[in-house]
Amino acid sequence: MATGEEKPVMVVGVDESEQSTYALEWTLDRFFAPYAPNFPFKLFIVHAKPNAVSAVGLAGPGTAEVVPYVDADLKHTAARVVDKAKALCQSKSVHGTVIEVFEGDARNILCEVVDKHHASLLVVGSHGYGAIKRAVLGSVSDYCAHHAHCSVMIVKKPKIKV
Amino acid sequence: MAKDQATAAMETSTVEKQPETREAETPSVTRTKRMMVAIDESDSSFYALQWVIDHFSTLLMTTEAESGMLTVVHVQSPFHHFAAFPAGPGGATVYASSSMIESVKKAQQETSAALLSRALQMCRAKQIRTETLVLEGDAKDMICQAVEQMHVDLLVVGSRGLGKIRRAFLGSVSDYCAHHANCPILIVKPPKGVD
Repeated sequence: MATGEEKPVMVVGVDESEQSTYALEWTLDRFFAPYAPNFPFKLFIVHAKPNAVSAVGLAGPGTAEVVPYVDADLKHTAARVVDKAKALCQSKSVHGTVIEVFEGDARNILCEVVDKHHASLLVVGSHGYGAIKRAVLGSVSDYCAHHAHCSVMIVKKPKIKV
Repeated sequence: MAKDQATAAMETSTVEKQPETREAETPSVTRTKRMMVAIDESDSSFYALQWVIDHFSTLLMTTEAESGMLTVVHVQSPFHHFAAFPAGPGGATVYASSSMIESVKKAQQETSAALLSRALQMCRAKQIRTETLVLEGDAKDMICQAVEQMHVDLLVVGSRGLGKIRRAFLGSVSDYCAHHANCPILIVKPPKGVD
């Protein structure tokens, strides 16, 4: 069923971190909330749930017993992330958003989702854990900035200037 | 190819429209007040400007009452007139004369003016509220400084620059700004096939 004009697609990658929530909220505030109900983009929110086996690693005997617990925990985290994202969208009256959960490494998942939806824009937060906090970009956002096939927006939580 | 196995979503949900609560209180809205686009002579930076104009025009148009401002910035690289030029045949070093400095400065100004007027034309065609800025110095530092001083909401850069290293995925200024700028940054990639 043709909807007339096609809206460009925006994909926002989220995990359970504060920076991610901040990035999603920032994006919703500036690019969606003021334009209700005619949003300028079609929004997909994507969470990459790490694979339980790869998260545990091959630690040796006893690994097989831990995996189901890790998996259950990861599923709970994923559910929390989805709920948080849904709540955030609804609080800003942004509807029609699709939230997807994939299993695998965030870097690859985000780049694949961009291709799958032919996204114009990928938005990610940035943890930047590192000794020199000011000058580090998280590994996922860095990877996406280099490898995604569309424009990438990296939203950093502003740091209080010391 | 086995690459397709990861693209099946485990779970998909859609955010439905909430029918209830007629609170009549508009949620606090944050408008984009200032977006900054850095341009130089590269095609990639002008493609970035065009991308912003195409996708974000609703936020920046002059017809909107509360639209933001698009600041187009060009950083001129400083001409080191105090640096000695290679020695001539007689071994005497030649320093830039003041007239040479003048002419180089003039050439730089003309280049900047041409770039910015091209940018302005692109913006005016879509009625974007625009201002231009010329800075002098090291591009990556000047851009990051301008972002802080002007309280920029979003910095936009192209992905490839003037460097000849095609293998690099991200130009050096864009890469530096992605790491060091204090505001969100948008890296605009050229369309596939233009590589």
